[in-house]
Amino acid sequence: MVARVKGESFLVAVGLLYALALALDPPRAVRAAALGGKVFLAVVPVMAASFGALGLFQVLVKKERIARSLGHQSGWRGLLAASAFGSVLVGPVYIIFPLLLVMREHGARWAIITAVLTSWAVKVPMIPLEIQFLGWRFAALRSALVIAASIGLGLLVELLMPGSRPATAPGPGSGAEDL
Amino acid sequence: MPSLVRFEEWRLIVDTTSLVSLALVGGAYVWTAFRRRQSAAQAARVGLKSFRGMATTFVAVFGLVGLFEVYIPASLIAKWMGHSAGVLSLLTGGVLGSVAAGPPAAAFPIARTLLDGGAWMPAVAAFIVSWVLVGVVSLPFEAKVFGARFALIRNGGSFLVALLIGLVMGWLL
Repeated sequence: MVARVKGESFLVAVGLLYALALALDPPRAVRAAALGGKVFLAVVPVMAASFGALGLFQVLVKKERIARSLGHQSGWRGLLAASAFGSVLVGPVYIIFPLLLVMREHGARWAIITAVLTSWAVKVPMIPLEIQFLGWRFAALRSALVIAASIGLGLLVELLMPGSRPATAPGPGSGAEDL
Repeated sequence: MPSLVRFEEWRLIVDTTSLVSLALVGGAYVWTAFRRRQSAAQAARVGLKSFRGMATTFVAVFGLVGLFEVYIPASLIAKWMGHSAGVLSLLTGGVLGSVAAGPPAAAFPIARTLLDGGAWMPAVAAFIVSWVLVGVVSLPFEAKVFGARFALIRNGGSFLVALLIGLVMGWLL
């Protein structure tokens, strides 16, 4: 609901700009609208691919189960798993944050939480759209750098946070596997 | 790359990117359908529903792209996000991305518009990364769920990451 309000207020804002533009110089405003429309139409094929992929990831990736198991993970393998998980996650903030809270409740370290949140920036299903607009080199490099950053930032955030695991952390391994 | 936002005709882009993407996704759907047909159908429904959910945002974003192209002068982009502006350009990208709220799919058309308008690529990269990683608008919610300390540290660190990634991409691309 929050997203819909935001989406709509954004639309209202753009609509107001167009109203202004129409009042000042109608032909130019119409040109702007037509241009926007042409670009929108042009990318329909990759949008279809991206949203199709989004649906598949949503249905096939068992988010809750993976989130729970990531709670017990530590060490490099855990971080890499967290990073991989985050990169294929799709959803708005009000779905993702509670999912991360589930991870936390199952004992996930701050590094794991941060790694998932950061690699969430990759948005694998949306990559076709990114390639269309920005080129495959840009998309590939940005994704690789974000994955690397998710590990680094995860470790850094955990360093700066007091107490890595929540007090009620279940799961095996007290510290032997930790970095 | 030739401009993607200066179109004359109404047409669909059917190129390697779209064809390969559609083929891969189509293939994945066929594979899924073989294993469990309901999953494939459900995936299609979810995808369609998500698209409909984002439709208003897309209309707004592409409307904005049109306005940008027609009204924003190249000099303005060059001044704030051009190569000559250096660090300011990176910062502008990072700040713009951090205050943006919305699906990252909306960031791509805007990013391309900026690039076509003459923005420095690292600044645009910083814009996209900070759009997805830093959320000034979602900060209160993040603080509520994880605590203010985590929210501030992560967002602050992410902002720096965005600038850094922009710089590295400038080196490598």
